[in-house]
Amino acid sequence: MQTGVAYIRSLGRYREASVLAMLAAVALYLSFASDYFLEPRNLLNVGRQASVVAIVALGQALVIIARGIDLSVGSVIGLSAVVAAVLMRDTGSETIGLMAGLLTGLACGLVNGVLYTRFRINPFIATLGTLSIARGIALLMTGGIPVPFGGLAEFVGAGRIFDIPVSFLLMIVLAIVVHVFASRTVMGREIYAIGDNPKAARLAGVNLRAIRLVVFGLCGLLAGLGGLILAGNLASADPNLGMGYELDVIAAVILGGTALSGGRGSILGVVIGALLMALLNNAFVLLGISAYWQVVTKGLVIIFAVGLDGLQRRGDDD
Amino acid sequence: MRSDSLKEAAVPGAVASSSPPPLVRVRGIAKSFSGNAVLHSVDLDLRAGEVVGLLGENGAGKSTLMHILSGGLQPDAGTLEMEGAPVRFGSVADGIEAGVSFVHQELSVVGALSVAENLHLGRMSRSRAGLVDFGLMEEASRALLERVGAGHIEPRREAATLRAGEQQLVEIAKAAARKPRLLILDEPTSSLTPHEVGGFFSYVREARAAGVAIIFITHRLEEAMALCDRVVVLRNGAIVSERRPAETSRQQLITDMTGKPAIYEHRPRTINGDTIALSMKGVSDGRLLAGIDLDVRKGEIFGLFGLVGAGRTELLDLIHGVHRPTAGTISLFGEGLCLRDPSEAVRAGIALVPEGRKTAGILPQHSVRDNAAISSLRRFSRGLFSDRGGDPRRMASYRQSLGIRMATDTQAISTLSGGNQQKVIFARALMAEPRLLLLDEPTHGVDVGAKADLYDIVTREAEKGLTVVIASSEVPEILALCDRVAILSKGRLAGILDRAAMTEDTILTMAFKEH
Repeated sequence: MQTGVAYIRSLGRYREASVLAMLAAVALYLSFASDYFLEPRNLLNVGRQASVVAIVALGQALVIIARGIDLSVGSVIGLSAVVAAVLMRDTGSETIGLMAGLLTGLACGLVNGVLYTRFRINPFIATLGTLSIARGIALLMTGGIPVPFGGLAEFVGAGRIFDIPVSFLLMIVLAIVVHVFASRTVMGREIYAIGDNPKAARLAGVNLRAIRLVVFGLCGLLAGLGGLILAGNLASADPNLGMGYELDVIAAVILGGTALSGGRGSILGVVIGALLMALLNNAFVLLGISAYWQVVTKGLVIIFAVGLDGLQRRGDDD
Repeated sequence: MRSDSLKEAAVPGAVASSSPPPLVRVRGIAKSFSGNAVLHSVDLDLRAGEVVGLLGENGAGKSTLMHILSGGLQPDAGTLEMEGAPVRFGSVADGIEAGVSFVHQELSVVGALSVAENLHLGRMSRSRAGLVDFGLMEEASRALLERVGAGHIEPRREAATLRAGEQQLVEIAKAAARKPRLLILDEPTSSLTPHEVGGFFSYVREARAAGVAIIFITHRLEEAMALCDRVVVLRNGAIVSERRPAETSRQQLITDMTGKPAIYEHRPRTINGDTIALSMKGVSDGRLLAGIDLDVRKGEIFGLFGLVGAGRTELLDLIHGVHRPTAGTISLFGEGLCLRDPSEAVRAGIALVPEGRKTAGILPQHSVRDNAAISSLRRFSRGLFSDRGGDPRRMASYRQSLGIRMATDTQAISTLSGGNQQKVIFARALMAEPRLLLLDEPTHGVDVGAKADLYDIVTREAEKGLTVVIASSEVPEILALCDRVAILSKGRLAGILDRAAMTEDTILTMAFKEH
């Protein structure tokens, strides 16, 4: 028993490695269990599915590293897509539509940030509120009926360059940018500091409010982008788009080794976490297991990932 | 009788068959926390009707020993006996059952209840109808408070409205109500007025006459000398001396406590010029502080002394931009400061070593190097990008000059000792190259060696022209370092003393000044 716990703890020390190992294990199993798994078409499809979760998870990771949480990303995905599609339809301009979609995401993030920093509302509650508000606005704007959506977004969402999904390539580029931002810039280092000990960081001269505002803004912006890609993939902006997405996104972040208690986490881990989530989804489809089991498993995965975090933290407290 | 007990204490185990065993006998008590030995083999005898002073620096192991005596902690090794019979306290409740009462330094009165209810928590008297009998309870409370010299406190008052000192007296009354055989008092006088101290002393003497054994923990040597029959000094988890007040001196006790006779000796230094570095005029924070006027010269080490709740930290918070003054002006080298956030203070050249290393100082999951760098990331950046490459070089130079002991600068700061952690926080502040350094209780929970180092560092930096404001609740620290000291009392400036006028007496008298 004791050694079992110690073993799991030691795994937790190298979370990226352990998630990578899990990824490999699931892939290995699937390659035997399903003839179809290793088909390039299937693998690229997994990559495409992972890309939106990963892009949104990049922003979520920054928020969680800074000791916050953003539950509203699923609704922001839906609202951004709807705003973009409606404006594109009404103005006939693709540029206006896409810009408006991204700005909607940014604005939602900034609202979350202001609720947290100015009105001192716990981010869990503040973003739970905006989760409902953003979804409601998306439904109001469309009367609940999906809006057709195409053009550039459709290319990003469904297109390929040399057979590789565009969204997957975009995700890789964004992951590199966010990785450099988090690890090499002054603000990136300050994000880790405020997540580790906000009071100490503030007294050491880190501008707590400004940085919290920026991370929530970035998270909203990336969720908005995720919405455009997702709607582009379907060629339709459904006001219910992204429903429940926050679960996948947060699971990817936590699986990737980011501590829910802040101050710790890596962008590489987040990408691996998103890939693992997509692979699990794929597994259910390939093995023909009921989609309802998929819902149960997602919950189990989150509890498992957070459990790892808890075990490791207990080790730190001793 | 008293001298007998002293002899026996000096020769453990040599109990004459004729004399009764001591009330409490502690033998070989040891305790470690995660590999750090906090107590090594402590022996101590406590006799009925004896007041024992327990002295020691922060972190010497006093609290741990008292928690073991009262059942709050279990020792790793060693035994406890009461009147010759071995006892084992599994919990605080066991300790209380056996007659051990521990009055903690941290106050635990329930603010929303009345004084009388606090005194009767868990054992409220009931009337025949089964309801709480307030009349009886208040009557009993009045008598209890009278005994500990707090007859002026009305039992019906809501406890939250009491001053810290009054709450402390309520705690003592609560302990007295349990009719303890061993009474442990942890810094009971730290927030009492001189008048209250008098009343408290008479209670202790009365309890001693009634046969209670009393352990009195204090930082005030005068009080220990005046009240105790025997003074025990704990250093680095071991008892290093047991002395009788009549046969020892203040200096001797300080040497016993620190192990270094010179640690609190003033380090002489010259101040060049008299440029005003920091100036405060009529500063208030709208809550506690009101009408603060003071000028600090460049290169000066300026002390801020005050009792708990006097406003030391609050004053530093105003200078550092944590809160904004509601009235008055603060200027730094002649420029008016209007700070909205500590980040602006750091940019203006003000660095802070905050009180509470764990809660407000360290970034526990970060490396030593990253902890030191956090205040100066912007100073050393190239555009948006942080100069990570230069961090090891800067860290190495401060590691050298501050004498930080560590294996590598990439280890997590939480793996260092308290003293070394504090030096890293100093490195963080100095790396920002401030014009004004604010220190809030900079040596709390730091071992003696590191304490002496920190005093040397502060003196050296001031000599180089850095202006230092240091808030401290330890008078010897103020006396060791400061050129002048401002004494705060309930949010107001009670006075400013220069070096010639500074003594433990003058400082404490001012701190207790009512206004």
